[in-house]
Order: sequence, then C-alpha cells, then structure tokens
Amino acid sequence: MAEITIDGLRLEVERGTTVIQAADQLGIEIPRYCYHPGLSIVGQCRICLVEIERMPKLQVACHTPATDGMVVHTNSDKVLEARRAVLEFLLVNHPLDCPVCDQAGECWLQNYYMQHGQHDSQVVVDKVKKHKAQPIGPNVMLDSERCILCTRCVRFCDEVTATHELGIFNRGDHSELAPYPGVELANNYSGNTVDICPVGALTDRDFRFKTRVWYLNETPSICPGCSTGCNIVIHHNDERTYKADGARVARLKPRYNAEVNQWWMCDTGRYGFDFVDAESRLLRPRKRLGSELEILSWRKAMQAVAMAISETVRKYGPDSVAVVLSPQMANEDLFLGRELFSNLIGLANLAFEVPKLEPEEGDALLMTADRNPNSKGGWLLGLPHHHEVSLATLLQVAREKEVRGLYICHHDLGQAVADKELEAAFSQLDFLIFQGSNSNMVSEKADYVLPSTTFAERDGTFTSHAGRVQRFCQAVAPLGDSKPDWLIFKSLAKALGHAMPYFEAEDVFAALADEEAAFAGLDYGSIGESGAQLSPGAETKTPAKTKERESFF
Amino acid sequence: MEAIGIVLIKLAFVLVFVLSFGGILTWVERKQSAIMQDRIGANRASILGLRVIGLFHPLADAIKMFLKESFRPANAEKFIFTLAPAISVFFALVGFAVIPFGDKLVLGDTVVNLQLAPLNVGILYLFAVAGMAVYGVVLGAWASRNNYALLGGLRAAAQMISYEIALGVTIFGSIMVYQTVDLQEIVRWQGAYFWGWLPAWGVILQPLGFLLFLTVGIAETKRVPFDPPEGESEIIGYFLEYSGMGFGMYFLTDFIETVMIAAITVTLFFGGWQVPYLAPDGFHFPWGSELLCAQWVVALLQVLGFTLKIMFFLWLQMAIRWTLPRFRYDQVMRLGWKYILPISLANIVLTGAAILLIK
Amino acid sequence: MNVHDKHKPLTWWEKTYLPGVLAGLWLTTRHFVRNMFAHTLRALGMDVKWLGSVTIQYPEFIRPLFPRLRTHHRLTKRDDGSPRCVACMMCETVCPAKCIYIIAEEKPDAPDIEKIPKSFDIDLGLCIFCGYCVEACPEDAIRMDTGILEISSYGRKGMMRDMQTMLALEPKSKRYVEFDDEGDVVSEPFVEDLD
Repeated sequence: MAEITIDGLRLEVERGTTVIQAADQLGIEIPRYCYHPGLSIVGQCRICLVEIERMPKLQVACHTPATDGMVVHTNSDKVLEARRAVLEFLLVNHPLDCPVCDQAGECWLQNYYMQHGQHDSQVVVDKVKKHKAQPIGPNVMLDSERCILCTRCVRFCDEVTATHELGIFNRGDHSELAPYPGVELANNYSGNTVDICPVGALTDRDFRFKTRVWYLNETPSICPGCSTGCNIVIHHNDERTYKADGARVARLKPRYNAEVNQWWMCDTGRYGFDFVDAESRLLRPRKRLGSELEILSWRKAMQAVAMAISETVRKYGPDSVAVVLSPQMANEDLFLGRELFSNLIGLANLAFEVPKLEPEEGDALLMTADRNPNSKGGWLLGLPHHHEVSLATLLQVAREKEVRGLYICHHDLGQAVADKELEAAFSQLDFLIFQGSNSNMVSEKADYVLPSTTFAERDGTFTSHAGRVQRFCQAVAPLGDSKPDWLIFKSLAKALGHAMPYFEAEDVFAALADEEAAFAGLDYGSIGESGAQLSPGAETKTPAKTKERESFF
Repeated sequence: MEAIGIVLIKLAFVLVFVLSFGGILTWVERKQSAIMQDRIGANRASILGLRVIGLFHPLADAIKMFLKESFRPANAEKFIFTLAPAISVFFALVGFAVIPFGDKLVLGDTVVNLQLAPLNVGILYLFAVAGMAVYGVVLGAWASRNNYALLGGLRAAAQMISYEIALGVTIFGSIMVYQTVDLQEIVRWQGAYFWGWLPAWGVILQPLGFLLFLTVGIAETKRVPFDPPEGESEIIGYFLEYSGMGFGMYFLTDFIETVMIAAITVTLFFGGWQVPYLAPDGFHFPWGSELLCAQWVVALLQVLGFTLKIMFFLWLQMAIRWTLPRFRYDQVMRLGWKYILPISLANIVLTGAAILLIK
Repeated sequence: MNVHDKHKPLTWWEKTYLPGVLAGLWLTTRHFVRNMFAHTLRALGMDVKWLGSVTIQYPEFIRPLFPRLRTHHRLTKRDDGSPRCVACMMCETVCPAKCIYIIAEEKPDAPDIEKIPKSFDIDLGLCIFCGYCVEACPEDAIRMDTGILEISSYGRKGMMRDMQTMLALEPKSKRYVEFDDEGDVVSEPFVEDLD
C-alpha cells in the first residue's frame, strides 16, 4: 500500500496504481488523451503532466506509479503552463474543422482548449496536409489531419480485438494514422475506436452529418442485440425532428459496466437500432378483412381479440389456442403474458423461443450466438426451454386443426420455417394474431396486428445470459399508437374480464419479484443503473405454475 | 296642424341632418384625433385616385359594415339579438323630434314651425326616450349569450341608470329658470338680453348646471372617458358578439347620441337656434345699428347658427374624448353618485334660493 | 425614493378632476389649433414650415434604414455560386426562436469542402430578428442586410424561406442611411418604385 497526496487529498492505493488512477479515485480530473483505463499505457500525449514534489521535472500522471509519501499537484501554475504548451503543440497541425466535425461538442481537444489553452496560434507556416475523410472500414471514417496520434485506436485493435488493423506511419509531423495496406477496419468492434478517439479523427459513418451531438439527449438502456446485455446509452434527438429523416434514435453508445461490457460494445448491436424508427414499424392496431386492412382503436382491437380467443376456447377447449411469447420481450412482458394466458385463461400451449433458420454465431468478446436479450428471463420464469420440436409440432397441429388460433409475439417465423409450410399452417387457422413492433412475414398474414413499442420507447428489464437483471429506460415516446407489450397484455386481460393492478412497468416487476423465487427481493431501485446479478442457485428452472393438461410443446 | 307633406319634409331634413352628422363624425373623430396628436389621419380611401382628405372613409366603412358577415352566435336569442341594435339606434334618433332647429319659416300662407314635434313636454319626452336607450344595450348584451357581453351590459346598465338620475336632476335648475318644459319655449326665452346686450343664454344663468349636464351627457354616450361598458379593445363590452351592421348600428348610436347631447346642450344652455341680436325681422345690434333681412333669411341664419353651435360642441366632445384617459369603473360610479348627484341637488337649492331672492 | 411618495393625496380642487381636465384640454387644443392652422394654410397653397404632423406616408416614402438594422436574411455565396454555409448548425443552435432548420449532407467530390447544407430553411414567422445567427456564423455565410422589411404572407407556409431563395437575395444598400463626410445623415425618405 502506498499513501499518496494529490492536491492536498490523501489516499491509500494498491502498489502499482498510477497517479492518474489514484486521481480518478479521488475524483480529481487530470486531462488525458492517450490514457484509457481499458488499454495499455504509452504516455504519448503528454497532456497529463503533473508536478510531483521532489521531482525536478513534471511527470506524466498516467505512467507514474504512486509511491508512498508522494505529493502531487495537478493544478499548479507550472502544470497549467505545461498543459497549455502541450495543447499548443497538439494544435499546431490540427485543422480548423470544428464547424464541420462531428466530434465537435464531445471533443477533448475542444474541451481542454477551452479549459486550459485559450491561446492564439503562433504558427506562421502552413499546416501539414494529410488525408481527409477516408472511409477506413464499413463504420469508421478517418480524418488524418485531426489525429493527435494518441494511438488509443491502434492499441484497441491490438489489445482488445487483437485484429491489428491500424498503425502509425511516417515520421515527425508527417506521422499519420492509417490501416495497414490492404486491410480494412472491419472487425465487429470497430465502432469503439470512434468512442475512444478523443478528437474528430475517427468518426462514425452511420452518424456522419446527421445532427450535432449537443442536440441529443441521453437515456441509459440495455442493448437488445444479444443475450450479453451490454449497457448502453441511447442518444436520441427529441427537439429537432426534421434531422436524419425524422429518426429519433441517433446512435447507441456503450455505457461502462465493469461486470458486463466494460467500455465496449459490438458493431452489430451499435448499428442495429434502425428498426426503432424504421418504415416497417407497426403503428396502429389493425384487422384484416380479406385483402383489406382496417385500422382499429385499441379498445375495439382488444375486444375483438378477446372475443376471438374466448370464443375459440369455448368451442374447442383451451388446447385450441396457442401463444408464442418472445425472448425479445422484457421480463415484465413475459411474466404478464404467462399470468394472462397460462393462469387466467388456462391455455396449455405457451411457447417463447423459436429457432432461426440459419443460426447466428457469437464471438469470444461480447456477442453471443443467442441474439435475444431475454432468453434467460424466459427460462427463469419457467417458460418452455426446448425449441425445434415445438415449432414443427405447432405448425403440424395447426395444419391438422388441433390448434385453431395462434397468438404470435414478435417472432418472424419466416426466418425459421419455409414460407410454404407457414402458408399451409396459417390457412387452416381461425385466427392469427401478431403482436410486435415491426412488420414481418407473420404480421402480413395476421388477422389482427397489435403494435408494441421497441426497447427505446418503454421501461423494462432484461436478464442477460449470465443471469444479470438490467433495466432499460424509456428514451423516446412510443411511435404511433404502439404500447409496451405488458400494457397490451393488461388491456387484453381487461377485455377478457380480468383487471390487473399494474400502472407502470415497475409495478409488474414488483409482482414478478414477489412471485418468482429467482427475482426475490429485487426492485427497480436495487437494480439501479448497473443491474443486479441473480444468485447462481436461483437459475434452476421452475415449471410454469398451472400445467394440468399435456402441452403440444 | 301642419300639412302632412311639410311634416314629411321636416322629418327627412332632420333625419338626413342627424345621420350624415353621425356618419361624418366617424371621419371627424379620426381626423381630429390625428391633428391633435400631430398625425395626418385617415387619408387612403380614394375613388378614381381622388382622396378628398379621407372623406371617403365613412363611405368605405359603411360598405364594409354592410358587406361583412353579420355573425350570430349559435346560442344567441335570435330575435332580440337582431332587434337590439335597431332599438338602440331608434331611441337615439327619435329624441331629435322635439329639438327645435329654428323658429318659424313663413312660406306664403303657411307658417312652418322648425321643430318636428311641437310637444309642450319636450324635456320629459327627451328623458323618456333617453331612458329607453339602455334597453338596446342590455337586450343586446343579454341576447348574445356571452358572459363578457353580459358583464359589459351590466356595466352599461348601471352606468346609464346612475347618470340618468343625475341627468334629470341637473336640468331641474334650468327648468326652474325657464318655467317651462317646452323646448321651443325654452329657446325663445333665451332670446332676451341682460342689460340690453348680453344674450340671456342658459349657461349664464346655470353655469354649474351646464358643466354637470355636459359631464353627465358624455357619460350617457358611453364614450371615453366614460367607456367601461364598451372598451372595445381592452375590457370587452356589451356588443362583443356583434359584427357587420349590427356592430355598425351600435357604433352609429354612439355618434348619434353625441350629436344629441350637443343638440340638447345647445338648446338648453346656448340659446338653441338663437343668433345674437337676430330678431324675426333682422339684426338689431345693441349699439343701435340695424340690418334687416327677409324672413326666410332669418330662418336660414337660425338653422345655420344652431348647426354651428352643435358643431362646436361636437368638436368639444371629441377633444375631451381624445384628451382624457378612461375612468376606472369605481371612479365612474363614485363620480356619478357621490359628486355629480349631490352637486346637482345643491344646484337646485341654490337656483331656488336665487329665484326667491330675485322675486 | 419610495414610489409611493409619488402618489400624493389629491387636494379637494384636484379631486374634482377639473384642473386636470382643463390642463389636458388646453394641451390638446393647442396642438389641434396649431396643426390645423398649418394644414389649412398649406391647403390654401401657402408655404408653411410647420409640418403639422410627423407622419411618413409609408408605402410611398420609406424611412432610411440604419446600416446595423437587421432585415431579411440572406445566404452568402462562394465564388462558384455555391453557399458558403458548411451546415455547422451554429446558427440553428444559437437561435432562440428555433426557426432555423438545417439538414446537412456530404459534399460529393469536393476537395476542400466536406459538409454542405442539403436544405437550409428559416421560418420567418418564428424569427425574432435578433441577429444571433449572423453573430454565430463562423463562415460569414448568413447576413441580415437585404433591407427587406415587408415580410408578410397569407399563410404560415408562406413565411418559410428556403436555401435557394436566400442565396438569391442581394444586399440592398440604397435603403440604408447615407452619411456625408462629416458624419451627418444626408439621406431623405426616398420613394420606392412600386411595380
């Protein structure tokens, strides 16, 4: 242990802790460009210079280990002067691109210049010209002139993804960041280089010129892309709706969570939010009459769906209606769906997982093969855990008219089964109901379509594959008349004559935590921003409560 | 009794006189206020490029009023809503029946009394008619079925009734002096001269009465500074729901009442049609010289003199309207009940005492 | 000074309102008589110095505008006629009325210019003519010196100005005040060509 004093504050730190880490623990901000807690230390940018007593020269805080009795000053005149000099040096060849630079507003060169620099340029010679606006991969745009050669991106590609695409070439003030010849920055984590780039050298091609960052609001959320449950921030544009063709969600950024994704997220998840503002969004409840589509009010739609379900159950018994929930749904949705269909109506056929036609693959870093955010949540709620047989069986019993009505949530069965097979099964049904956010093969065929919200438009929780319950928050208003899935189930229950006492997603979760041993003791407060890890013992599956009859699944 | 033809001609004369005065007053109001405030005033309406210092504006106003939609709120009392502005204009107009605008016109054998209705209770008739004016306002306000209009109507009713009382009381002094309520007689009475040269106009005998009457009269017209019932742009008055000619009629009523107040003031306090030193056969000046002229010239001079006096009082009322700010409603009421009424009562007592003393 | 001190209680004489009324009437009547006199003499064809009114007959005569007056916006152009604007959205950000709507796009195959406005609309119905957009612009791409004041429309849509409209506008110097060598204003209200 070493006792270090920074700006008069004392702190006991582990041996090997650097000064900058100690300062971070104390909440003292030392400027940095090249230092990143997730990467190795190179001491390249020199902006983190601090004054350490009994050392003749200023030291880089990122590479100086804290030793016992060390006294550090981060704000002395000498330090400020050094920072100003370093900034001036970094800015010698930096172009005046701020008006057209997407980094403007979240640029550390801008921030530190405003805090510490504020000098007029003394450079009389022309700035060195380098390559501008080069796409170096599917997602990243490189502007070499803006680069301050901190090498964060190089180290990221070397150390985190180990794909080694980037390097610094040439010497002196002609040094230039570039991908190796013939190589593209095409790994599935390339978006992170944009995040860690402290200046505007690496910018997002997807986000390029869409809006300015200061127009965006931030809402903490969970990536719905796979079962890892990376913590993210949704950056959404609420006021200037004319930008980016009206898309409200502008981009997703990773949110630090030491237990899950640290500072990173994969490109699949990062750029996989188009569906939120897509044309294909289902906006109004609707009914199919032959080839005609009729827009319904929620009240009428709920009455019609309730009527269809209860009539079929009355005529052909509770086995005649099957419901397929989805691991895309939040814990609240699955819980309320189970309550409604299994416990209140007593349907025996309740499934929630459907395999894809071509199984996805995961990677070793963050992305898993299971591209559903909440499979684990469904298992923990006791929803059936066996797929392949079930879907085939389902279609077969539909063809044989053993099942008369089908209620499908979110799944695009077109990705799992050939179209012909689906046609054959659906044509035998009395009714097909689809509940989901975007239109797909099933919604095209469905008699009733109930539009639900996407993850960005509602509150809820996902359970990651590691058994971590994490909250996501509503960032933007529901599009059109869409409603959160749990609210649709609540309305449907009401139309069927069962009142449910839930007004917020939080209420549903409270009921869930009361009922399910695995979630016992949790609430939105205790889950917080970083999630709550379920105890390993709780992960054992509990069977769905009422299963008096044999299920098809 | 006069021939019906002559009555009709007189009627036409008075109506045309009053209505054109009412119409031109809208122009006078704009122009006079403009000149008082160093502006130019309305001068844009033109016919074939001819602007005639804005004299076409009243015409343009009239055309606009007639062409605009006369909107009636869905819940308004249809009949009364339509009738109310007409009531207002009607009672403003019929008052002029008893105003003498000249002495006599001798045309051959016929002697024309230059007064529409030679009533021997002229003043009482005037009060009766003025008292009815409040109906036009209150009915219009009530029939609109609009709370703001109704409140405006309430203010108007309270103000008009309060000042009605003061109006009656202020004139008692004059009646006591003249010993008659026939307006023609009152004007003839004022043909006398004090000390042979000073016209015996009512204002000399009743200066306080004149001042009070003018104040009360302006209050009765509901124009600034006594316009809390109307306050078109700020506090919303009783004709809130009126548009087109309905509004136009209320608007016109105000101006006709202005002419009315001027006419009564002239009749009671400024010798009516009396022109100083003009006897039925011509001028007899106090210094002895004479200027005789034909009877029709005398009649013409009397009508002209009456008209000029009215014009002066119209100018004065406009000047007051464009000089003073609006009274607050409580000030209106306080002024009416706590100052004008007691002072006019005192005026009666003083006048009575003076008459007793002189006798 | 306490503001209440201004409200002295009225004397009995003042309470009758008569002195106030008479003083007011005296003032307005004085103006009336003096102006009326001037108007009448002029109508009779005499040359009177006293104008009798301060009115400027607007559509025919227009007051000279001061050079710093902010009028209808225009967008400045580069030598090749393309907008100077680089869609940095500083004006849009600083605009307190939020009346500027910019959509940016990448400029294809331009050596030096990366970003240009795809559309640049101003809703003059919302604009408060504060001029912050001109202040904020790092490229001198927007100015408010067109001298255009008559901005009206029969509908809200008519108040929208797009990029092409604003690029086509030119500064209109003849509307602005002219000074002589000694710094005195020499311009007169001038007659606009009404066509």
